[in-house]
Order: sequence, then structure tokens, then C-alpha cells
Amino acid sequence: MSKTKITIAVTGLNNTDNPGPGVPVIRSLKESTEFEVRIIGLVYETLEPGIYMEGLCDRIFQIPYPSAGSDELIDRIEEIHRREPFDVLIPNFDAELFSFMKNEDRLLKSGIHTFLPTIKQFQERDKDKLPEYGEKYGIKVPASINLGSQNQISEIKDKFEYPVMVKGKFYDAYTAYNTEQVKQSFNKVSAKWGLPVIIQEFVKGTEVNVIALGDGQGNTIAAVPMRKQYITDKGKAWGGITLSDDKMLEITRSLIRQTKWKGGMELELIKTVKGEYYLIEINPRIPAWVYLAVGAGQNIPEALVKLALGQEVAPMESYAFGKMFVRYSYDIIVDLEKFETIAMNGEI
Amino acid sequence: MKITEEVRISDNGFVFNSRTGDSFNVNPTGLELTKLIAQGHDFDTIKSLFLEKYELDDLTFEKDFYEFIALIKHHQITSQEDPLDFK
Repeated sequence: MSKTKITIAVTGLNNTDNPGPGVPVIRSLKESTEFEVRIIGLVYETLEPGIYMEGLCDRIFQIPYPSAGSDELIDRIEEIHRREPFDVLIPNFDAELFSFMKNEDRLLKSGIHTFLPTIKQFQERDKDKLPEYGEKYGIKVPASINLGSQNQISEIKDKFEYPVMVKGKFYDAYTAYNTEQVKQSFNKVSAKWGLPVIIQEFVKGTEVNVIALGDGQGNTIAAVPMRKQYITDKGKAWGGITLSDDKMLEITRSLIRQTKWKGGMELELIKTVKGEYYLIEINPRIPAWVYLAVGAGQNIPEALVKLALGQEVAPMESYAFGKMFVRYSYDIIVDLEKFETIAMNGEI
Repeated sequence: MKITEEVRISDNGFVFNSRTGDSFNVNPTGLELTKLIAQGHDFDTIKSLFLEKYELDDLTFEKDFYEFIALIKHHQITSQEDPLDFK
């Protein structure tokens, strides 16, 4: 069977110690049995490693940060599309998703397909609304409070026992064992991600995750549970293993069925020694460990592209458990000319 | 007591629990014990097999056996309804 030729634009090529999902998404797409892909890499920074990885992207374009304004970002995307037309756009950063969701229709009119959660789905799973979310969809979540200022830190001791988790609205989480540590983490997190800062009850247990894909109609197209085996000091998985855990799959399917989730997602759960599961976070996009799911038998990026193009995708029910991934770092030698080209021209 | 169905035991002593993602190495004696439990043997049968094969007394066997059982139960390799009821 001949493969369909398709061009896909992907963000998140920052394969650093806090990796974006772009590179593994591209690897997954290149392994598609149905598509022959041409990749447009979209980068924010000139040192995103994906720019320099040989054979990864066919073209690279620099784009402005969403903080510069949604219109500026979308204008740039459309300009790139006019020069190098692409069929599907896969954004991989939480912080940029809102701009792309808001402009979904505008992008589609230009011929750019996306497959993203709705703004309602995206906003109701915000970390600062997790308790309401848990109650609405019948899933256990740790208790939390939102801090709008440092003065509220004194409220913590009345509501929680230490340690507590101090979390940013988009990224970052620190464990704090006393008020002083909360203050330090509060300053770090609020300086980077703004307010509110979320104080979450510390639930003791093992962190487990599920990568999943919802079709927007309530069906779970793909779901693979994983446990991090090696965690970096930033809390990122540097090694992981797929699990055979029906309860995790049941939680995922129930959530997707109730919310009619559209797009990729990652559920972050804590499994306690009693075997209870607490939802600590939902990432509204494909996570950086997506290639493990592909290795286990579910090519989630390929399925997402098909859904974006309006094609029918049958749910993937099986995967191999006990499959592992081990991440590694690797030095690429780069000629100055390449760096100069992206730095000066904003494209390669 | 039985070995949880998600647990895979290799002949070289590598034990993998696909529900929790944990893996362990057991020594040849541990492997022998785990396999006997997996085969569904009761305590008395395992004890007599061990006493016949190795030079050890009843008390030492029981002490080491229950210590091992507690360990593998802790790691969710086995499931046991009643902690006193070993079958």
C-alpha cells in the first residue's frame, strides 16, 4: 500500500532535560505505516536541539512566543503556511495551546488542521480548578488551595500538614516541608508562571501516568499507562515502563467518556499503598514520553493526524506491557553557519 | 496465597510485576520457592520438599519462609486473603 504524502508542522523541539514532545512526536510520525511525512519544525529558541538533529525536520521556522500576542503568533504561522504549506499542526506546549485553540477556525480556513481540546475542556482541567474537576467527574484529587499573594501562605498550616506541593499554573512543582520553603517556591513559581500559585496536599505513593487520545465524541482511541522508573531533578521521566493496570485505563476511559476529550492528553496520578488513585494533573497535550506508547504498539501521533484530517480511527485496545524507554543525552556538533542561519533569518 | 497474574517470573530469577512496574532479582532458593508457590503447592508440601533437599531444620525453614512471603507480599507479587492462611 502506498503511503499518503502529508506535511505536518510540529512545535516543542526542545529536547532538553525538560523535554518538549516535538522530537518524539516527529519520530512517531516518521514510523507511520500510512503517511509519508514532511516535517516543518516550529521553534521558539535558536538552541532547541531538534533544529540540529539530522534528518528530523525538512524545514525549520522560528515563531514568536504566545506571550507576544496570539495574533502575532497566528500571523506568523499563516505566513509560514503560505510559503511552505502544511496539512496538520501539532502544538506541544501548554502555554501555546490557548492561542491555537482560540484560532482553530481561522487556521482551518487557511487549510491548517488541528486536533485540540475545546477551550472549555482545557480550562476546566486547570490546576487551580482541580478539586471542582475531581468532584464533577468522580475522581479523587488531592485537596488544594490557590494562593494569590504571599500573605496567604499562613493559611496553609490550618488546612494541610507538611509537606505540601507548590505548583505553577502551567509548569513546575516543588515539595515544601515548611513555611520558609513554601515562600521560596512561591517566589520561584510566581516569577515564572504568574499567579495563582497552587498549594496541593502531598499524597504519598507512586507516580503513574497515562498517555491517551480522545476523539472528541467520548471514545478513547488510545491509552497506555506508564510508571516513571528514573526521574530527573525536574521531575521528568528519564526512564519508564508500560504497565498492565486496568484501573488506570478505566479511570482514563471514564474521564474521556464524560468530558468528550478531544486530542492528546496525559493523566498524572498517584497510586497510594492502599491502591487508590489520585489525579494530580492533566496535561492537555501529548507528553514527551509518547514514543514509549508507539514502541508498545499505539502510534498516538499518527492517530491524532488522522483525526485532525477527519478520518475514522478505530480505538486501539492492546499494547505491550513491560516495554521500557531509557532516555539519553547526546552531543551534536553543529557548524556555526547553521546556528547563524536560524539566528539571523529565523528559518532553515 | 497465589502469585498475582500480572507477575512474570523468568528462569534466571528476574521477577517483573507488570501492574506496578517493579522488578526484582531473587536468588536460586527464592526462585525455587516462588515457583513452588506459583504452582499452587501448600505450605506442608513446600516444607517437606525443602527439608528433603536441603540440610535445614523445621524452625529455620519456617522463619525464613515467612520472612520471604512477607517480602514478596509487600511487593505485591502475591495476593493473600488471610495472612494466617497459607495455601
